[in-house]
Amino acid sequence: MSILLAFVVSGLGIGAVYALSGVGLVVLYRATGVINFAFGALGALGAFVAWNLIELGHANALAWLAAILVAATGSYAYGRLIAPRLAFRDPVVRSVGTLGFALVLLGFIGWYWGEVPRRLNLPTDKTFFTIFGARLNMTRIIALTLALAMVAAISLLLARTRVGLYLRSLADDRDLSAILGIRVVRLEAFAWGISGVFAGICGLLLANLVRLQGMQLTFLVVPAIAAAILGQLRSLPATAIAGIAIGVTEACLTAVPAIAPYRTAAPFVIALVAVATMRASLLTMDRR
Amino acid sequence: MKHLILAGAATAVFALSAGVASAADAPKCGLANGQAATGTPINIGSIVSKTGPDDFSASAQAAKAYFDCVNANGGINGRPVNYIIGDDQWSPEIAAQLAAKLVDDEKVVAMVGNSSFVECAANANSYAEKGVIAIAGVGVPRECFTAWTYAPLNAGPRLSTLAVAEHINKTSGAKKFVCIAPNIPNVGAWACDGVTVWANENGAESSTILIDPGSSDATSVVLQAASMSPDAIILSLPKGVMLPVLVAAEEQGLNETIKFGSAASGYSLDVPGALGEAWNGKFVVNMEFQPLDAETPDNMNWRAVMDAHAGKDVPRDTFAQAGYLSARLATEAMLKLDPAKIERDSVATALSEVKTFESDILCAPWYYGAELSRHNANNTLRNAITDNGSWKTVSECAAVNDPELTDIRAFEATLR
Repeated sequence: MSILLAFVVSGLGIGAVYALSGVGLVVLYRATGVINFAFGALGALGAFVAWNLIELGHANALAWLAAILVAATGSYAYGRLIAPRLAFRDPVVRSVGTLGFALVLLGFIGWYWGEVPRRLNLPTDKTFFTIFGARLNMTRIIALTLALAMVAAISLLLARTRVGLYLRSLADDRDLSAILGIRVVRLEAFAWGISGVFAGICGLLLANLVRLQGMQLTFLVVPAIAAAILGQLRSLPATAIAGIAIGVTEACLTAVPAIAPYRTAAPFVIALVAVATMRASLLTMDRR
Repeated sequence: MKHLILAGAATAVFALSAGVASAADAPKCGLANGQAATGTPINIGSIVSKTGPDDFSASAQAAKAYFDCVNANGGINGRPVNYIIGDDQWSPEIAAQLAAKLVDDEKVVAMVGNSSFVECAANANSYAEKGVIAIAGVGVPRECFTAWTYAPLNAGPRLSTLAVAEHINKTSGAKKFVCIAPNIPNVGAWACDGVTVWANENGAESSTILIDPGSSDATSVVLQAASMSPDAIILSLPKGVMLPVLVAAEEQGLNETIKFGSAASGYSLDVPGALGEAWNGKFVVNMEFQPLDAETPDNMNWRAVMDAHAGKDVPRDTFAQAGYLSARLATEAMLKLDPAKIERDSVATALSEVKTFESDILCAPWYYGAELSRHNANNTLRNAITDNGSWKTVSECAAVNDPELTDIRAFEATLR
């Protein structure tokens, strides 16, 4: 029993980052109708930049800021320059466009940094609490706290601010919002930027908690999409809870010997089941 | 005037010492006569996994560097080697197509320096049927060590994994092992089974954990391993997957209480630095060859060949050592043949007769073993430990005690 609890503890940290990633995806989807497949690659790019700066002897804080800035700028640039050109295409085309962006970023990371074993340390790695025999370090606790704080912050932004109001109106009807004088392209680019900030933070955390490797970080977007789908691409709290649940489920499957070697498939299976069972509700949401 | 003479003398001394230095660095290969080979080219093939999850091409690139050096030094008694490299892209289908092209169309006399994750299963039988001997650089899956005419220069993950477990057992008395390997058929379980079988015969015990190399949750794997209360955890993982497992182990404080070791896949010059202080003197790896930076004659010659004939972007890693050795071995075997009669049959015979190929990069002389139905000549290995950002060799060459080597050991007894 205690080992199972240890797995729960170990799954919490990564689950929290899945939650954060999922929320980053939902924020963008609600504003633009695009599922951003490049979310993981943007985070990876930021993490590699941070690693590089730390290697060059720059302060940690500067490196982290740079990571978030790089991811946010990359995301904003795509949202401002490429996404508007696809604005009137099918939702599928708009999402697949980001897959292209992801592959370009992944290619760049592979070409520039290559496949060398690297490690991105955070100062919070060394402080830990022991719960049920497993150590839960400060990085994981920060990931959990951040997930909750960001959900609250974004919910507040959407509910209480003018930008939030515009974003909600955009989510309801893009054309009508444009007629009402909302600067659609600028607002969408803003949503891309916010989503990029999430990608940068998640990239840093995942590079530390999982591994600093382009391919791995790029495809960690899959569990995030699973979380977003479980949140019906709409509810931020539901997405966050789903993300944590996916992380914990994946970790707990370690205890089942027959499944353990294949537990990486858990997020895919969960996403598949979610798509199959929630299809009806997703279709009714498709407003474009 | 006096100054001029002094300056002149100094220049002469400098030139002389530079000359000495460059002579010491000049690679030696083949006939070493400095004359370019101009005869009819000899086709030799190689298949490597370049594009895909990992790049194994350094083996063939190093073999190419050696053959280029041979071609610039008299060739194979006047005939240059035309070395043709194919990239199987980690696809068995492409590997089979490449083999057909090289063997049937290009009429290669042998395969040399192969390093592929998928090629052995796809091509070993067809090489045997067509009478082609493959002197491979690095073999990984089991099929590379169970084929009639496929003979890798490296030891393979099974022996390498067991060698490090044996070392930890010998030096620390560890009796309870957990072996962690990827869930890839004929790679992971095969490698860890070696430790289990050896442990059962030697009053120890070992459990195996197979993981998906794409898994993002190393902490759970480490917790699972720790829950079995082992004395030592042995990793038989690609280095990109190994590092997160060690990081997770450090996070759980296991580096302080449990011994950690890895198969040769963990031996890379950048691993100790990436691991950092917490692992200093706490992580042992097996090495299939001489340490990369060893200043022994043949290892130095390998580096000289690389510097003279391979670009700076070609890694100077264990794959390159293996590729160099395979090319040197093939060259020396072919040099014994009449240059007019270098054909597939004569080359196969020459290669199959190799009994004592010596190099300080290997622990023991390499042999082909024509009488054997499989080949695993590199089975005497060293280990190294993390030491202030680099590796320090911690053991002499020791024969690996894998019960699966019975046939190989019996054959070796006949060689002595």
